[in-house]
Amino acid sequence: MSGRRSRSKQSSVSSITDDQITDLVSKLQHLIPELRRRRFDKVSTSKVLQETCNYIRSLHREVEDLSDRLSQLLASTDSDSDQAAIIRSLLMQ
Amino acid sequence: MHLPHSTLKQEFVKKWIMGLQRCKFSNKNMSIFERKKAIKLSADTAMASARKGLTCWSRALISTPDRSAVPTTTRRASLACKKIVKRSRRIRRTAKCGAARKRQITRSVAQCLVRKRTQILKSLIPGGEFMNEVCLIEETLDYITSLRVQVDVMRSLASASVRASEPHN
Repeated sequence: MSGRRSRSKQSSVSSITDDQITDLVSKLQHLIPELRRRRFDKVSTSKVLQETCNYIRSLHREVEDLSDRLSQLLASTDSDSDQAAIIRSLLMQ
Repeated sequence: MHLPHSTLKQEFVKKWIMGLQRCKFSNKNMSIFERKKAIKLSADTAMASARKGLTCWSRALISTPDRSAVPTTTRRASLACKKIVKRSRRIRRTAKCGAARKRQITRSVAQCLVRKRTQILKSLIPGGEFMNEVCLIEETLDYITSLRVQVDVMRSLASASVRASEPHN
């Protein structure tokens, strides 16, 4: 179904949309660390999408791991004043 | 619409601290698992609300904060795609095709890959299923920037906590 949709889009919409997409995909390429080194090569759209998905998944995993670590670390700080000091140091950055 | 990293970071820290305080962290009866869920929920809510309703993903995340396992359509999509790529390789090997036909096959394989990977990306971005291609990529750019801020701040808090728990000399 999406194939039909994209085919009809190409016939009715001008190439401005194609350029827009190319521009956005190159912005995505610059954002992803895996692909930043290949800045001057032409990377295929499907490769950019693949690396984007991998990158987002790895960021999600990192948030999960950090939540785990923080739940253990904050459990071990007994007093509220310790926690307040930690949060204050965060604010000072 | 794209904020610099430092501004986004300040917004996130502000909102996250508010959220953490509301969780009543000093409640000793919380299990580690409950604590972890509270931390993640407050971090996700802070990340989304730091965008102040300007992006689709942030509004979607606030309305459905508990995004559990990756849907099975992801795996199905990648398996289907692998089948199509294998089939096209088999076609290419039966070398009766001319150069034009080979180019056509390569193009359709590429289009298939883009379609399948777009589907996977839609499942990763909050609210992605409802976006067109242009919106999806714009939202992805913003979502990645916000995720990085979230990871940055959480990492700083973790190392600050480790330093605070070290015995004072």
